Amino acid sequence: MKKADVFVIASIIVFILSLAYITALGGLGPLPPINVRRIAINYLNLTYNTFTPYLTVFALESVTSIVWDFRGLDTLYETAVFYAAIIASIALYRGVYMDFKKNTEKTGLSPIAKTVTRISLILIPTVSASVALHGHLTPGGGFQAGSIATVVIVLSIIIFSRYFLPIHGLSKNKALLFRSIGLLGIAITSIALLLIAIVLGVNAYIFQNQAKIDAPLSFPSLVDNYILGGSLLFFNLFEFIAVAFGFTIVFLLLSISEEKVKKVTMDG
Amino acid sequence: MLEIFTLTLLTLFAITSVVAAYLAIRERDLVKAVVYSAIQSAMYALIYYVLMAPDIVLVYIPVSVGLIPAVLLFVIKKTERYEGD
Repeated sequence: MKKADVFVIASIIVFILSLAYITALGGLGPLPPINVRRIAINYLNLTYNTFTPYLTVFALESVTSIVWDFRGLDTLYETAVFYAAIIASIALYRGVYMDFKKNTEKTGLSPIAKTVTRISLILIPTVSASVALHGHLTPGGGFQAGSIATVVIVLSIIIFSRYFLPIHGLSKNKALLFRSIGLLGIAITSIALLLIAIVLGVNAYIFQNQAKIDAPLSFPSLVDNYILGGSLLFFNLFEFIAVAFGFTIVFLLLSISEEKVKKVTMDG
Repeated sequence: MLEIFTLTLLTLFAITSVVAAYLAIRERDLVKAVVYSAIQSAMYALIYYVLMAPDIVLVYIPVSVGLIPAVLLFVIKKTERYEGD
């Protein structure tokens, strides 16, 4: 590092610290209140509250409750944006096919790196499954678990080779199939109670989790003393599948060699 | 006492992230720049953890330290590694 760099970094730090000091003194407008706001108090009160059975979620994790129940539709549309982006990347790579090269022994990094990665290939999916399936009890959820699981895909592409996943049966089309199953699961979970209500002839809402005053149906929230959080478990599980395989598609497409992609996309 | 400790930790993480961000911008070797950027993201993840947002930490670590550098490395492989004048 040069002397000039040190000087610039020091001056940036001094600038930021003085800006923080001015902000803390209230020089850049009024400071936000430090006590808990009313909407937050309501969320915290209603996340798991057996005394208000028509308003609660019956899940222990308030963030997941907000994401998939209180503000469920917001999350659905965010999910839709993410999947539209993946569809766009698939459309960009249309006509490009992944090649299968049988011998993967000589490709990839050293045997040390491969052995370490083989251990993580089991450990990381275990962590991601626990994050997904416990998302309604402890911090975590579908998107978190899906992105953790994708690290395995990236590792196996970089450490072994880009032929490793297709040879072991995870092609782009299969990932697309699993992603669609995840999306379908989210869609069915969001209207499941509505469909049952139409059959039974009672009232229900889209994205309904627990029973409301005028809508008596609800997802199971407690099975054998185990808190399920109603629809949150299903949403987390399907979002996990959809996100993990959505990212997998992107990385499989990115790993195709540039010459091949250029040949297909430039020649039309 | 605990509050001062927390604030000191936050300041340290924040300052380290600023240094990493500056080095990521200055670096001409793009692979090294990606590593600096990952260090900056790791500091942000620690800040989220200290500020008691474990849900964000769980998504921030794999995305910003694992996936985004991977995407950037793939992209750098498709162009040139060193930034020209």
